[in-house]
Amino acid sequence: MRKTFLASLAVLLFAFAAVAGEKPVVGLVMKSLANEFFKTMEEGARKFAAEDGTFTLIPVGMNSETDIDTQINAVENFVTQGVDMIVLAPADSVGLVPSVKRAVGAGILVVNFDVTLDKEALVANDLPEDFLFVGPDNEEGSYLVGNFMAEKLGRGSKVFIIEGNPGADNAKQRKAGFMKTVNEYGLDLLSSTTAHWETEEANTVMTNLLTRYPDVKGVMCANDSMAVGVVRAIEAAGKIGQIEVVGFDNIGACQELIKEGKMLATVDQFGPEMAANAIKVGFRILGGEKLSGWIRTPVQVVSAKDF
Amino acid sequence: MNKKRLSYLLMGEAGIGIILILLCGVFTVFGRNFATGGNMTNILTQISINTVIAVGMTFVILLGGIDLSVGSVLSLCTILAGLVITNKDMPVWLAISLAILAGLGGGMACGLFNGLVSEIWKIPAFVVTLGMLNMARGAVLLISDSRTIFNFPRSFNVLGSVTFWGVPLIFTFSVVIVFIGYVTLRFTVFGRMIYAIGNNEEAARLSGHNIRFYKVTAYVICGATVGIAAILYMLRLNIASPILGNGFELNAIAAVVIGGTSMSGGKGSPIGTLIGAAIMGVLNNGLLLIGMGDFARQVVTGFIIVLAVVLDTYRAGLSRMLE
Repeated sequence: MRKTFLASLAVLLFAFAAVAGEKPVVGLVMKSLANEFFKTMEEGARKFAAEDGTFTLIPVGMNSETDIDTQINAVENFVTQGVDMIVLAPADSVGLVPSVKRAVGAGILVVNFDVTLDKEALVANDLPEDFLFVGPDNEEGSYLVGNFMAEKLGRGSKVFIIEGNPGADNAKQRKAGFMKTVNEYGLDLLSSTTAHWETEEANTVMTNLLTRYPDVKGVMCANDSMAVGVVRAIEAAGKIGQIEVVGFDNIGACQELIKEGKMLATVDQFGPEMAANAIKVGFRILGGEKLSGWIRTPVQVVSAKDF
Repeated sequence: MNKKRLSYLLMGEAGIGIILILLCGVFTVFGRNFATGGNMTNILTQISINTVIAVGMTFVILLGGIDLSVGSVLSLCTILAGLVITNKDMPVWLAISLAILAGLGGGMACGLFNGLVSEIWKIPAFVVTLGMLNMARGAVLLISDSRTIFNFPRSFNVLGSVTFWGVPLIFTFSVVIVFIGYVTLRFTVFGRMIYAIGNNEEAARLSGHNIRFYKVTAYVICGATVGIAAILYMLRLNIASPILGNGFELNAIAAVVIGGTSMSGGKGSPIGTLIGAAIMGVLNNGLLLIGMGDFARQVVTGFIIVLAVVLDTYRAGLSRMLE
């Protein structure tokens, strides 16, 4: 309650100040700022707003990945204040659709980024199925980094997948990408297990899987935090150099591991620019362009040769 | 050994030990590579952190209290220690020593706050520590700017994977903590008072003891174990992160309760808690080795926690009958 109240208060104050300034106002609704990835994204957006100078940015973040209430309240406060554009990374791809509907109904441009809104929920709320989405292709990213590893290991190699939160959209998409690699290279998938995006759990899971399958050759992790735990498990087992690890997100700790040769590669989806890109797309629409559907932002494999 | 002593043992800590041995037996038969030295090393590593936190939690629960803040306080302690240990202006040995002090100090300060607030204003520990859960999480995100700290000194990092004849170094630390906890509770006046207060707070008060002192100290002890666990976490994973530790409080409480400590206080011991943590670790490891899927594993683990507590209610009745 308290944090919701504070968030609302912040939005109100900012919005009043902004409306007085008569620049277009952009409300940015982020996921958990406790996550380094979103934190850098928010900083990227702030930087873009400061450099651009033609609009006022009001960013709102949540305390945890699952704090849907705060997001819904933030969107509704933005609607009440009549901002010009809401840029939204939904914490729940179904739960936020009714709020989006309200915003669109009030004539506010909504740009969906990072995680796609659910197609069925969109249609059920009389919104277009190809609702504008600016974001990376998670499946493509994990497919690319998976292939990078498969090329190195060779066809038919034994591998694990360490999955993200069961049910999370990006976790599903990343697993789908890894599975494409598995099928294409005929990899022997020994186990696909969740570690809920967490380092410690990934370390435990990897250690235990290594006991069951000591002859594994490669591990595909759905994010870098888990890759850190997996690499530590391999290190503790004295198998560095015998097992290749790839991750997703390109966080600082993993860049270090890649430089040390303990990890093969990760995927950069250019998080810092992602929110800024979504805002740019929004302004193209406000400028009269007709855009809809999925506007892909780049994903790129990062490996030792990039440092 | 007379009959009464034997039955007491079977119904007490040894009783939970039997559950642990049964579980190990099942996994040895059905799990690939379960009963190997390497796997035992892994399980011991995996239960070390939870065991240390759970020993502190045992003190608090013996007094009928609870500490929900341990997970986020753990995270706070890793970041405090991580900031110190990565300081390049100090010699490595000094940075490591100060980092340990920072972790311990952070944990004890949070524990002191929990204890003082709940005792001075008579606020349920549930509420105070829930508040601390949020305060510590917010504080650690502020201090770290939500960034993970890594690049600890090499000499520190390698310690995390050191083993002696298959026993991980970090597990020996947790056994030392269990031992200290056991001796304190069993053989010191302070420890006996914890049981006395947990059994009958009013009687202890009427006999002129300073209840407040014991309760606050129990929370400080719990905070100190969280600080130690934070250092073990950094040894094991070589990172300090502001988002780690979610749900650790529940694992610690589960280990304490499975270990036979009564949630209403007065009964239990750190040895039981160690066995409780081992049961959870063995389940987590063994279910994966027999190839059970993610969701089924979660169901079974939850079920065993409930089962252990149900068995516990019978155990109390049985041991009374045998006396």
